[in-house]
Amino acid sequence: MSVAIRSPAEYLRLYFLIEGQYIKARLHYRADFMISSVGMLFSSLATLGVFAVLFSTIDELAGWSFMEMVFIYAFYMVAISPMQILFDQFWFLRFDVRQGTFLKYYFRPLNMMFYYVSERFDLKGLTQLVLGVGLLVYSSLRLELGWTPGRLAILFVTLLSASLVQISLVVAAACSAFWFINSWPVLSLAWKMREFAPYPMTIFSGLMRITFTYILPIGFVAFFPSQLFLRPETVSGVVWAAPFVGIGLFAVTYLVWSRGVDAYTGTGS
Amino acid sequence: MSLIHIEDLSKHFRVLNRREGLGGAFRDLFSRDYRTVRAVDGVSFDIEPGEIVGYIGPNGAGKSTTIKMMTGILKPTGGTLLVNEKAPYDNRIHQAMVMGVIFGQRTQLWWDLPVIESFRILKEIYKVDRRTYDEHMAMFDELVGLSALYPRQVRTLSLGQRMLCDITASFLHNPRVVFLDEPTIGLDVSIKAKIRSVIEELNRTRDTTIILTTHDLGDVEALCRRIIIIDEGKILYDGGIDKVTALFGTYRTLKVQIDESCETKVDAVRASLDRRFGPDRGITVACREAPWTNITIDQDRTPLSDVLTHVMGAFAVSDVRIVEISMENVVRRVYDGALE
Amino acid sequence: MRSYLAVVRGSTMMGMVYRFGFLAATVGNVVYLGVAYYLWKSVYGDATTIRGLTFDQTFLYVALGSTLFIVLKTYVDWNLYSEIREGIVAIYLVRPIDFQLYMLASCTGFFLLSVATLVVPTILLMVFVFQVSIPLSAPLALLPFSLVFAFVLTFCFDYGVGLSGFYTESIWGISTVKDTLVLVLSGALIPLQFFPDTIRDILRWLPFQAVYYTPLSLVTLPDEGWQHVTRFGVQVGWMVVLLAATRVLYGRAVKVLRIAGG
Repeated sequence: MSVAIRSPAEYLRLYFLIEGQYIKARLHYRADFMISSVGMLFSSLATLGVFAVLFSTIDELAGWSFMEMVFIYAFYMVAISPMQILFDQFWFLRFDVRQGTFLKYYFRPLNMMFYYVSERFDLKGLTQLVLGVGLLVYSSLRLELGWTPGRLAILFVTLLSASLVQISLVVAAACSAFWFINSWPVLSLAWKMREFAPYPMTIFSGLMRITFTYILPIGFVAFFPSQLFLRPETVSGVVWAAPFVGIGLFAVTYLVWSRGVDAYTGTGS
Repeated sequence: MSLIHIEDLSKHFRVLNRREGLGGAFRDLFSRDYRTVRAVDGVSFDIEPGEIVGYIGPNGAGKSTTIKMMTGILKPTGGTLLVNEKAPYDNRIHQAMVMGVIFGQRTQLWWDLPVIESFRILKEIYKVDRRTYDEHMAMFDELVGLSALYPRQVRTLSLGQRMLCDITASFLHNPRVVFLDEPTIGLDVSIKAKIRSVIEELNRTRDTTIILTTHDLGDVEALCRRIIIIDEGKILYDGGIDKVTALFGTYRTLKVQIDESCETKVDAVRASLDRRFGPDRGITVACREAPWTNITIDQDRTPLSDVLTHVMGAFAVSDVRIVEISMENVVRRVYDGALE
Repeated sequence: MRSYLAVVRGSTMMGMVYRFGFLAATVGNVVYLGVAYYLWKSVYGDATTIRGLTFDQTFLYVALGSTLFIVLKTYVDWNLYSEIREGIVAIYLVRPIDFQLYMLASCTGFFLLSVATLVVPTILLMVFVFQVSIPLSAPLALLPFSLVFAFVLTFCFDYGVGLSGFYTESIWGISTVKDTLVLVLSGALIPLQFFPDTIRDILRWLPFQAVYYTPLSLVTLPDEGWQHVTRFGVQVGWMVVLLAATRVLYGRAVKVLRIAGG
């Protein structure tokens, strides 16, 4: 095993340097940024729109009020933002692998995942983040949730682990590109699963509940963490596992990535 | 201790034997049949600091596989491989600090950013101090006027400009060894010359070891003092370039199109040349690229003009081409024992 | 006509190669159906009807809607966009083909294949697993036509979005807006009955619901009689309008291309 030459602080500094330049270059395409942000706005709010329409005919869904749904939804939006903004390059992994451009990532004295992640910074994702934070504030005011420094700390930790869950699922799916030529369906499917994250898991029973809790744990992306704040009395042990689920999943994903990197031989002989 | 020490290095791949047809594809799902491909098979050589070595061979010879092992991408199957006294595969990040890699067709710079920003980022990545960085940039500005390109986005550069920037980038951190893969491919003659002189200058002033893989013999002739030829995973030749230059310098292939398919004429041409010049004059006739009859001539033994005159007189020749010997031909010759 | 049929055949064969993609789409659809089942069960709770629809009707509607969404996916927007980016469009200008018709033919194969591989299994799933009954009635006769027109309408949306690639650097934003509008406003995810009345009256006349609500209601709401015919008429109307509009758009874009260069 090689010893790292670079400390986490130095990695962070490098990251800011690269992304700073990248964002500066990207902002030249102003129209593109505007249109993309609008698109982002639309797509982020689609499912919320569906909920809003539903709630025009019903008062509560499985015991959850509309404002509580908004909170869960906002939590979801903030939680998937890191994946959206920071790990955007993974959408191109299958092309980089196929065309051999992936080789260049081996040659720098940098952790390869860091280098790969640093290639892209998705500005339009900021729209979703800002909107999510806004809705989180709004809904918690309407629900009269008291925020203490302690609760805020828990919020921060749960958001972080929720985003790790989302990142892990999508990145692992993207890594299938190392082994399969037609990896797009896997990635696309994993990404689609996020749509179910804002749904209250209490509506599910049996196989579906098990699937979303233990197999494809998107329950941990929004619903379970939100319960800590909305209905702390009803919280089961599963919810407290949240931070570990996030870290554990990411560890597995990193392992998958490492295997893929080892297995990759580039194109040609 | 040499900079690169390779002893009995090998790399084997397990490749799936795909069965034919629909039934075969179905059987493949249940029982998989593998064969072992020996991409690199017992290779040994040492490279000292400051050498410029040409590493050549036909496609599929094992060149890229060896390079990938030296750069830490692939793990060797067997043997010893030490670069700067470390095993590349287990020390990727450390090795990367003292190594540079250039791919002919793919840039390693940041596509959307101005060129100068790529350099600044690399300065940070490789922890190059200010003075070294400034000296390096000044040197390149003097050599090729690089500062004119600083504000340009990499995506807007021509191939030649991009290659110059890639070279600047790869030498920025003063690596001990640089791997160049097809550095002049697709470039016009004047840029090629410029790039060769830059590489030579860098090697001269900094003693950087350079490993060059290329199909362009011009590159090899201009830069390399030593050549290693690999074919089918084994080293065929490892020595000075002079011997090999002699091999391909004087050989020419005379391609003639006689008004029938080359297969019928090959024997006739061979017999005719045999009668005219006698055997063992360094003339071989082959029909590998129909409709051309290829006559390869060792000009040290028989002048090409004589052969051409004879052939045109004896046969109805409709088209003629004269080409230098190809890499494949060089390797084949070495394989056939031309160097013994 | 023969050349377009050849294109359809070609794209059908390409679709067969893409079977892994179909499998993934089917899996995703099954998961969605499971989620939808539980969601609507929760929404209904103890009520037998909401806004005049029973649970069975709503669930059938949603299930067919999501299947239809996959079946109608044309990818024309992104395909056209990448062809514009790579300058391949110039090649088409030289060929003696109608570009719009060619684009339509190229996604038809996929459509036919999707109908065969997804619609039938989904209906089987609904009938035998979820125990939903599908009423057979007169309006169903309009269904094949309505489906085809829905496909052509979707093509128009996607084609229009793809054409915007002549003017912008990336069509992601426009494509996403289109997808969202179609999904939410067409009644694909929720039957239009659930929308507040004022909004519903506006949506009735927009082309989005003509893609989903019109064909789907033929299956789930057999008793609506003349309303089906009106909706069918609106669907045809929008189809004609959008086909014409995108033709004009194409003409404009190509004119710019010819003058300004690729």
